[in-house]
Amino acid sequence: MKRIVVFISMILVLSSCGEAPKKSNEINLYSQRHYKVDEQQYKVFEKETGIKVNVVKANADELIERLKNEGENSPADLFITVDAGKLQKAKDLDLLQKISSPIINQNVDVDLKDVNGYWIPITYRARIVVYSKDRGDVSELSTYDNLTDEKWRNKVLVRSSSNAYNQALLSSIIANTGEESASKWASKLVKNFARDPKGNDRDQVKAITAGQGDLAIVNSYYIGLLLSSENEEEIKAGNSVGVFFPNQGEDESGSHINVSGIGLAKNAPNKENAIKLMEFLTSESAQKTYTDTSYEYPANPNVEPNEIVKKWGSFKKDILDLNKLGVFRNKAIEIFDKSDWK
Amino acid sequence: MEIIKKIVQIEHKRWIIGSSLIALFLLLPIIFLFSNIFEIEQSSFVYLWKNLLLDYSFNTFYLIAITSLFALLFGIFPAWYVSNYKFKFRVFFDIALFLPLAIPTYIMAFTYSDLLSYTGPLQSYLRNNYPDFSNIFNNDYLQIEILGILLGLALYPYVYTASRVSFSLIGSTYINMSKNLGLSSTKLFFKVIIPLSKPAIFSGLFLVIMEVLNEYGAVKYFGVNTYTTGIFRAWFSMGNENTAIQLACLLIFLVFIILFIEKLSHKKSKFYYSANSKIEKLSTPTSNKYLYIYSLCSLPFILGFLIPFFYILNNSILNFKNIDFSRLFELSLNSIQVSTISTVLIIIIALLFLYVEKISKLKLSTFISQVTSLGYVIPGAVIGLGVILLFTKIPMLSSYSLVGSFYVLIYAYVFRFLAVGKSPIKSSLEKQPESFDDTAKTLGLGPFKILQKIHFPINRLALITAFIVTFVDLLKELPITLILRPFNFDTLATQTYEFAIEEMMVESSSYSLAIILIGSVMLVFLKYIINKQINAS
Repeated sequence: MKRIVVFISMILVLSSCGEAPKKSNEINLYSQRHYKVDEQQYKVFEKETGIKVNVVKANADELIERLKNEGENSPADLFITVDAGKLQKAKDLDLLQKISSPIINQNVDVDLKDVNGYWIPITYRARIVVYSKDRGDVSELSTYDNLTDEKWRNKVLVRSSSNAYNQALLSSIIANTGEESASKWASKLVKNFARDPKGNDRDQVKAITAGQGDLAIVNSYYIGLLLSSENEEEIKAGNSVGVFFPNQGEDESGSHINVSGIGLAKNAPNKENAIKLMEFLTSESAQKTYTDTSYEYPANPNVEPNEIVKKWGSFKKDILDLNKLGVFRNKAIEIFDKSDWK
Repeated sequence: MEIIKKIVQIEHKRWIIGSSLIALFLLLPIIFLFSNIFEIEQSSFVYLWKNLLLDYSFNTFYLIAITSLFALLFGIFPAWYVSNYKFKFRVFFDIALFLPLAIPTYIMAFTYSDLLSYTGPLQSYLRNNYPDFSNIFNNDYLQIEILGILLGLALYPYVYTASRVSFSLIGSTYINMSKNLGLSSTKLFFKVIIPLSKPAIFSGLFLVIMEVLNEYGAVKYFGVNTYTTGIFRAWFSMGNENTAIQLACLLIFLVFIILFIEKLSHKKSKFYYSANSKIEKLSTPTSNKYLYIYSLCSLPFILGFLIPFFYILNNSILNFKNIDFSRLFELSLNSIQVSTISTVLIIIIALLFLYVEKISKLKLSTFISQVTSLGYVIPGAVIGLGVILLFTKIPMLSSYSLVGSFYVLIYAYVFRFLAVGKSPIKSSLEKQPESFDDTAKTLGLGPFKILQKIHFPINRLALITAFIVTFVDLLKELPITLILRPFNFDTLATQTYEFAIEEMMVESSSYSLAIILIGSVMLVFLKYIINKQINAS
């Protein structure tokens, strides 16, 4: 019996070794972002301000569940996602509070801001079309809708509908053209698929290079990552495709974009520090770090995109209220299921 | 009055009540989860039925079928050769065939898809050197069949171990008798050995099927929608808890059917290993048999361990200058620490349940013990959510904000992996005659002393086996850690996964290599123990 008591007390001691967040000079993040660049940013911030940054990284929806259930006792100050839809979902569940900071207000692009002021953008990415330089003809490309044309039968590559980026794209189409037309778009596009959806965005590009299809719908920064890869073959794959921004016509909506953004938790125990971090992340120096390491577009209009990204030229963004990406999320998934987009 | 009298008469009350309370405590998240949201909502069921169920069911069953087929192929034949024949490197293969267990399934899938991809080394090499020839390999490898084979490679060691132990114990009596009756070695294998070992093989296969049902990372990457991906999609993407719970129920129902089939197969072939008749002399294979032996023993090892291992090793060497060794060390320590603490707890609790089941002989105890194994069939993220609900919704618990502490993380681990730790101890306890307990009792030992003085030493090897198997499984654990972990807490598995889903295989390599190495060392040690067990019985 004694031994058991000793053992249990051992566990208690060991398990209390973990860093429990205290209400001191700290800040606690629930983050969906898990890129190296984020760690770099937090380190610089810690150095500059002396505020310690604590992070839990997981899937956005799971973090929302955790936030929701923790309620008033939640230690989280900020909720960071790579999808405005999830921020809207968190706001809808009453998990966020309004952010007011003149500095942030000045730092970020007006088009990307949340109209209600509950979250801020830090970067954005476009969901674009890439085409095979050998077999594709740019002049034949125009809109997302054009991808459903019969001439692309068995030629379109895209990843699974479980992916949040595809869900956001379809949500934007629902918001712009209505449910019925979005539904038609999805089922017609499925007919043009070169293969069942699978893999990630980079795999779609590789599949074009491998000749399994001619067009792919991907996020812009993946092309940047391919082109800056250490694997020569990946650079070749990146170079074999051309980048095309859809919906650029005068009366068209612009290319679908989505932000990576931050919401301020409703019960944030370290609110002041949290706002400091947001101000820092939208500042010019931090924005430069983002664009150069993850090839995303900066939310701060004073910062230029990375050289690789700049070469693709500027484009017209779809400046839809990005909260709609969350509002129409369930509808989008239903349409995916009904159109057999796996 | 009668009932009270009966209760008073029951032996070992304290043990039974104690274990029941622990079981209840472990089951709380699931009870809470189901009672909280389980109301059959017709619309979601109709939606599920109309759009998804057929596809999900087909994929789930098809994937189970392919994985099982390959797990059996890769597991049974080598196990038979190693148990029955004398050949060079036999001892080496016996250990080597075990090692793929150290590689998490998602790493196996990511590694192979990278290896085979258009920009991977195989196709690049062919394209640059034999352009005419290269097109043959230019295929889409992200297919459900390929996934099944890869899962088979990662999971066959469960079948291998189970059948290896069984084959060695079947005994020369059966084999000699069959040979005297004129059975060829092929017939002997299929008509005698396999039927006799069915329960053992099935118990290995059961673990394989459980792992497939729970698989998330690899399945999602390959675009294969199974019940588990469906649960995630319904719950997390659509916020439709009802559909998710319905799918989870279906999953659990499926597991009960499989368990039922296993019970049936056990009943049909009641067979006991006779103590003194294990294979004493290994036979010498004929010369053309060597070919089968070497190819069937080396194939699973090469594909399941050597190739992924060297690919990951090579990536780590290429990336050597970028490896952050202090972080690697820190994460290794984190992984080892939480896995060790949880494993020890699991073993203690498992032993308690099994022991109470043994001494009380009550149906209730057996039932409790079985129900607590349920954690193994429920997807990790669902357990994680149940735990969050439990610790935040019950007023008594919520004021302590326990979510995000190590206690809660370890609690979830214990529930999820209790079954893994229990199974080796269970089979060991079952082998011991009742007379041990009875003798001890007449000598005046109490239940605790009996456990300490008799069962602990006798089952020492089983306990170590349970420890290692559970430890290796925990080392690879992903979904629960992701959702329940404390601030700034990463393990080797979470770090590997975060790099891998961004397709940064090179960056992830040093962390996955650490998982594989730690796991391999433990498994080699385990193999040594199992062989000791085989030789001792």
